[in-house]
Amino acid sequence: MTPQSFKKTGLALLVLTALALPLILRSPTYLHILIMLYLYAYMTTTWNLVGGFAGVLPLGHSVFVGIGAYTSTVLWLQWGISPWIGMLVGGCLAGFVAYLIGKPTLKMRGAYFALATMAFVEGVRVIVENVDQLGPFKLNGPRGLNIPPLPAGEGSLLAFQFATKEPYYYIILFMLMGVVYLTWRLSRSKLGYSLSAGGEEPEAAEALGVNVAKCKVTAMVLSAFLTALAGTFLAQMTLFIYPKSVLTLDLSFELAFIALIGGRGSLAGPIIGALMLRPVTEFSRIYLSATLPGMHLILLGVILIVVMLYQPRGLSEPLTRLFNRLQDRICSTKTGGAK
Amino acid sequence: MSLLELRNISMDFGGLRAIDSLSLSIDEGQILGLIGPNGAGKSTAFNCVAGVYRPTSGEIWFDGANITGAKPWDLCRAGLARTFQIVKPFASKTVLYNVMVGAFARTDKTDEAEAIALDILKSLHLDHKKDFKSGALTIADRKRLEIARAMATKPKLLLLDEVMAGLRPTEVDEMIDVFRTVRDSGVTIFVIEHIMRAIMALSDELVVIQFGRKISEGKPEAVAKDENVIKAYLGDEYVAS
Ligand SMILES: Nc1ncnc2c1ncn2[C@@H]1O[C@H](COP(=O)(O)OP(=O)(O)OP(=O)(O)O)[C@@H](O)[C@H]1O
Ligand SMILES: [Mg+2]
Repeated sequence: MTPQSFKKTGLALLVLTALALPLILRSPTYLHILIMLYLYAYMTTTWNLVGGFAGVLPLGHSVFVGIGAYTSTVLWLQWGISPWIGMLVGGCLAGFVAYLIGKPTLKMRGAYFALATMAFVEGVRVIVENVDQLGPFKLNGPRGLNIPPLPAGEGSLLAFQFATKEPYYYIILFMLMGVVYLTWRLSRSKLGYSLSAGGEEPEAAEALGVNVAKCKVTAMVLSAFLTALAGTFLAQMTLFIYPKSVLTLDLSFELAFIALIGGRGSLAGPIIGALMLRPVTEFSRIYLSATLPGMHLILLGVILIVVMLYQPRGLSEPLTRLFNRLQDRICSTKTGGAK
Repeated sequence: MSLLELRNISMDFGGLRAIDSLSLSIDEGQILGLIGPNGAGKSTAFNCVAGVYRPTSGEIWFDGANITGAKPWDLCRAGLARTFQIVKPFASKTVLYNVMVGAFARTDKTDEAEAIALDILKSLHLDHKKDFKSGALTIADRKRLEIARAMATKPKLLLLDEVMAGLRPTEVDEMIDVFRTVRDSGVTIFVIEHIMRAIMALSDELVVIQFGRKISEGKPEAVAKDENVIKAYLGDEYVAS
């Protein structure tokens, strides 16, 4: 077996397992946990397009989740426009907003960009919490928006609502596979090379013909568009959105935590990170939220410190090494046996 | 016809005048050396040409166009490449990756960029190290990588800022060969160097600056005998009386 085919087989097994899981795991509770895990892996992967490759630290990505969630929900509630169309509209709107924030802030260095993106989410959240009506759009202030559920047992593709968890599972699984594939393609493209180079040594990259600021803005717009799609998905999953659920720093920080712990700028990092950290968040929300709200962020912070001390580039690096060793062992025994 | 022309360039940093009405020109196919004591303003002159700084006054012409104040990435695409005195490799990436970043200045396709990069690496005898992390290279190889990356952008003019500093004598000889390879491929070279042996052997013309001002220019042999130059390097007392 060649290393190439070993990788392909591994990947195929992984995908098949993910596709088959709902057939084995029939419990809606477990499926829900998996759906949320994929959703976070998805959002972190899209975060990674800027936070990982472009070498900056965006701490306000929830604003794009919020834009996606609010746009599709408002369009559905007020005009009956299918959330699938709303999803695309929200993505474009988020991309446009990302352009407006990215243009001036991506020229800033490190911490300033992080602070600017944080300030922006907080600003947007305060605005949304304080207006019930924004022009023709009903936002309903801090109370948020309810999507009336379809009658029990009914599902509709057009309404993006389903009676069981399985359709949600497959939608988010395909979305996740889509962005992972896109990231992989991007990392091997001119834009990917330019982003990595510009993130590492901006002056050298510029001397080699890379318009670093422009590449970063492009990545930011792409990332915002894709992140907003997750917002619509989240809204349709929960059928209830409010500023504190989709427009918070909590969510923005969690994405950054997952990326940093999993492995910033790597393909597997966001998935590994989500796999490790979603359970921590879920359990601390279930068992500690009454007594210690926000505990999950403290736990994530502690884990981040420990990981950064021992694996400053995140967990994906030692795991990749482990995988490679396994691959070497298996591939060499196979060829050895043939001799 | 001159490929690059500096017309009365001045560059101020706050109260400090790093370049003072400097004029010079380079003909196509030439190697022009720029020398001068530490802090004379050599790197600053390069940074003005390469678009890092906009000169306070004066004009820069490249390939028939006024490029004063143009951006580094646009200049690179126009055919002007440079290396940095303090090398700036993309340290976490491989040698090949580094060179491909440069090659993407001329193509949008990844496989084409890879082919260009491999070609350049071969011509500079770096191809056997293509999979090394650039952060782990020796200083000589890092300097060579700076040149390879710049060459991958297919420049008409290459600005080389002290690529021989810190090299051992045998490595300097190898670097002289690299220069000749580059020149023979049709690239005009503007070079800053402190190592006299090398700059004397390589340059067609020399310009000497001190305190941002040009104090001498001409053929290397003539410049070496110029009193102003000897004074600048060794002090007044060394001038033969
Ligand atoms: N960005 C800057 N801001 C302020 N002063 C600067 C800046 N860059 C250079 N200088 C000053 O301009 C003068 C010329 O510096 P420059 O680096 O061009 O010299 P150099 O001839 O390249 O010297 P060396 O041989 O040491 O490399 C020095 O006095 C330096 O301190
Ligand atoms: Mg210098």
